[in-house]
Amino acid sequence: MAPSEQLRPDLWTTVNERYPGSMIRKSDAVALATLGVPLERARLCFVSSAGVQPIGTLPFDVAHPLGDFSYRTVPSNAVPSDLEIHQLKYPSAGATQDLNVIFPIERLQELVAAGRLGSLTPQFFSFIGYNMDPVRFERDFAERLAAAVHAQEPDVALLAPA
Amino acid sequence: MALVQRALERLGTPTVSVTVARDITVACRPPRAVFVPFMMGHHFGVPGNAELQKTIILAALRLVAEARRSGEIRDLPYTWNLARRGAYTGES
Repeated sequence: MAPSEQLRPDLWTTVNERYPGSMIRKSDAVALATLGVPLERARLCFVSSAGVQPIGTLPFDVAHPLGDFSYRTVPSNAVPSDLEIHQLKYPSAGATQDLNVIFPIERLQELVAAGRLGSLTPQFFSFIGYNMDPVRFERDFAERLAAAVHAQEPDVALLAPA
Repeated sequence: MALVQRALERLGTPTVSVTVARDITVACRPPRAVFVPFMMGHHFGVPGNAELQKTIILAALRLVAEARRSGEIRDLPYTWNLARRGAYTGES
């Protein structure tokens, strides 16, 4: 089966009936930014919507009907035992055993140590993907988070939409 | 996440996402993405397979250097079935 055949044409209808306007489509392409250095010298920032956060930080609000429009910073030198997950919308069985399946912080640290990547930004970023106000998400949250990531001066950003 | 990715790319940072929901990614049109047909919440593979996790990361980052058009989605040659059965134990 070709990947395009995995499209679920009824998904938008179904979800939009329950959460009007929540499923977005974009038809315009964003101009590609250029990677200015080889990966071996590049500084990487990781961004996740898996609800991973340092233990002791304010838990994401997983009960609010519109979601949680905040993000957490995660120190890139953290270890999995420093972190916990507050998110209900995806199967976290694997992440409970090995956080790297959704938030590969140890693998990124190892790739830097092995010289495959240059370095990591001091902070990674995390939020929850359940946000049911797409206008607010796009105009406010996405811009705020993108600015915060950009302020870490990454050469490249790796994102994992949970 | 695609909206964050689009905003970040506009600020000048090259980006790539790892997606397990190809149709949503097609609809939201991030600048670059790699697709793995893995279970939700398991974008980088299975617990304990560090080599597969690194392979997915590096494959995604390769697309940052190689993509020539915005919106490209590269399908990676891994299956959830084989990942769960312990394949892909060497970096490729």
